[in-house]
Amino acid sequence: MGQRTSAAPKKGKKTLHGYQSEGLADWAGPLLQGTLTTLEIALAAYAIGILLGLMGALAKLGKVRVLAVIASAYSTIVRAVPELLLIIILFYAGTQALTALMNALGTDGRTEVSGFVAAIAVLAFVQGAYMTEVFRGAILAIPKGQLEAADAYGMTAFMKFRRITVPAMLPNALSGMSNLWLILIKDTALVSVVGFEELFFTAQQAAASTNKYFTFYAIAGVTYLMLTMASNAVFSKAEKLARHGQARS
Amino acid sequence: MSDSTHHSQFAENSQSCAPAVSVSNLHMSYGSFEVLKGIDAEAAEGSVTSIIGASGSGKSTFLRCMNLLEQPKEGRLEIAGETVEFAYSDKGRPVPVCKQVTRNLRTRVSMVFQQFNLWPHFTVLGNVTEVPIHIQGVSRKEAIERAEYYLEKVGMSDKRDQYPAYLSGGQQQRVAIARALATEPDVMLFDEPTSALDPELVGEVLNVIRSLAEDGRTMLLVTHEMRFAREVSNQILFLHQGQIEESGTPEDVFENPSSERCQQFLSSIIH
Repeated sequence: MGQRTSAAPKKGKKTLHGYQSEGLADWAGPLLQGTLTTLEIALAAYAIGILLGLMGALAKLGKVRVLAVIASAYSTIVRAVPELLLIIILFYAGTQALTALMNALGTDGRTEVSGFVAAIAVLAFVQGAYMTEVFRGAILAIPKGQLEAADAYGMTAFMKFRRITVPAMLPNALSGMSNLWLILIKDTALVSVVGFEELFFTAQQAAASTNKYFTFYAIAGVTYLMLTMASNAVFSKAEKLARHGQARS
Repeated sequence: MSDSTHHSQFAENSQSCAPAVSVSNLHMSYGSFEVLKGIDAEAAEGSVTSIIGASGSGKSTFLRCMNLLEQPKEGRLEIAGETVEFAYSDKGRPVPVCKQVTRNLRTRVSMVFQQFNLWPHFTVLGNVTEVPIHIQGVSRKEAIERAEYYLEKVGMSDKRDQYPAYLSGGQQQRVAIARALATEPDVMLFDEPTSALDPELVGEVLNVIRSLAEDGRTMLLVTHEMRFAREVSNQILFLHQGQIEESGTPEDVFENPSSERCQQFLSSIIH
C-alpha cells in the first residue's frame, strides 16, 4: 500500500514505562513532519489542480465538441461524488489498474503506488474539477471586447491566453481559488483513510497511543486553523496584486 | 479600353490615389440572415471614409470584415497589401482564412472600438506598448519611445502609468487611439468611437481623430456624428439593409442625396 513506516516515536517503546511516558514532546517531531507533509501534498495537488482546471475550462469553453464533452463529464462527475468515496475509489482502483497495466506489460506481481504520489494525484484530480468551474466562470466574466481587442491586434491564441485571458480573469478567479485551497488543506485529512501519514493521521496515532485524545486532536485543529489563517493572508495579498488595475469602489 | 487608359493615367498622375482598401462583392451572413449583400467600395490611400446608416444597416459588420473579426462568405478584400478571397467549401461553409494571413493583416490594420476595450491589467503605457513588443517584435526601448510619441499626440502623456479603470471614457478612448497608432498601421478602423461617451467627452476624442485625418492617415470610420463625418471625410458611404445605397463626397451625400432612403435617414438625424 505504500505506507510510510510508522512515525511513532521509537523512544516511547524503549522506556521501561512503555507508552505511559509518551507525551507532547515525543510527538512534536512527528506532528511537525505530518504538518509539512500535509502542506507538501496540498501545494502539489493545488498546482496540478490549477493546470487541470485551466485545461478543463478551456476545453469547456472551446469549440472542439469532444473535449467540451469530456471536460463537462469530468467536472460534473467529480463534483457530484463525495470526496472521501472518490479518494478511496481512485486509490484502490488506481492501484489495481496500474497493477493490471504493469502485468500486461510483462511485470510480475503487485505494483506499489507511493502513498505520497497517490494522495497528490487523487486530490489534484478532485481540485481540477472544481477549478474548471472557477476558471470557466472567471473567463466568462471578462468583457468580451477585451478578448476581441487581442484578436483584432493579431495575437495568437496562446499569446492571448497568456497575456490577456489569464491576467484579466485572475481577479475574478482568486476568491474561488482561495476557497478551494482552504478546502484542499482540509481534504488532505481524507487521505489518512488510505493510511497516508499526514497531519491528521499522525494526530490520530498520537492520540491513540497516549490516550490524550483531546490534546492531540486540539493540536491538529489549531494547526489547521493556523495553516488556513496564513493562507488567507497570502491570498488577500495576491488578490490585492491581481486587482491592481481595478478602481477602488 | 478607354476606361482602363483613363485609370492608368490617373494612377500615374497621383500615386497616393492607389486604393488602400478595395472591396468587391462582399457578402456576409449570420446564419441564414444576410447582413451584407454584395458591397463594392474603395478607399484611397490617405483618405477618410465615413460609413453611415441606421442601426442594423450592416455598417459595423462591414467595418469588422475589414480586419476579419467577421468573416465574409463571399467576395474579395484588398487591404494593407493583403488580398483575401472568400469562398464556400463543398459543404457550403465558408473556407476559413489562413491564420497567418489573418494575423499579418491585423498587425497592419488597427481598430478602435466603441467600448475602448483597453486591457485592464496593463497601465496606459503597457496597453500602448503591448502589440509592438509582443506581436511586432519591436524592442522595448523603441516601443516605449513610440508609445510616448503617440500618447503625447492624443494628449495622454501625463497618465502613462495610470490604469484604464482610473480614466474617464474620453481618456480611455484616446489611449485606445494611441494603442492603435503605436502599431503604425496602414489603415485605421474606428467603430463608433464616440457612441459610448458622455456628451461632454465626445469633443476631445473627435479632435484627436480630426488631427489624424489632417495627417493623411487612411481611416474607415463608422459614426453617428454626421457633422463630424461631413467635416473630415473624403468619402461617405451610406449603408441600407446591407447594401451601399448612396456614396460620394460629403457634399454629394449630405446635400444632394439621390436615394430616397438616404434623404429620409439624413432628415431624421440632422435637425
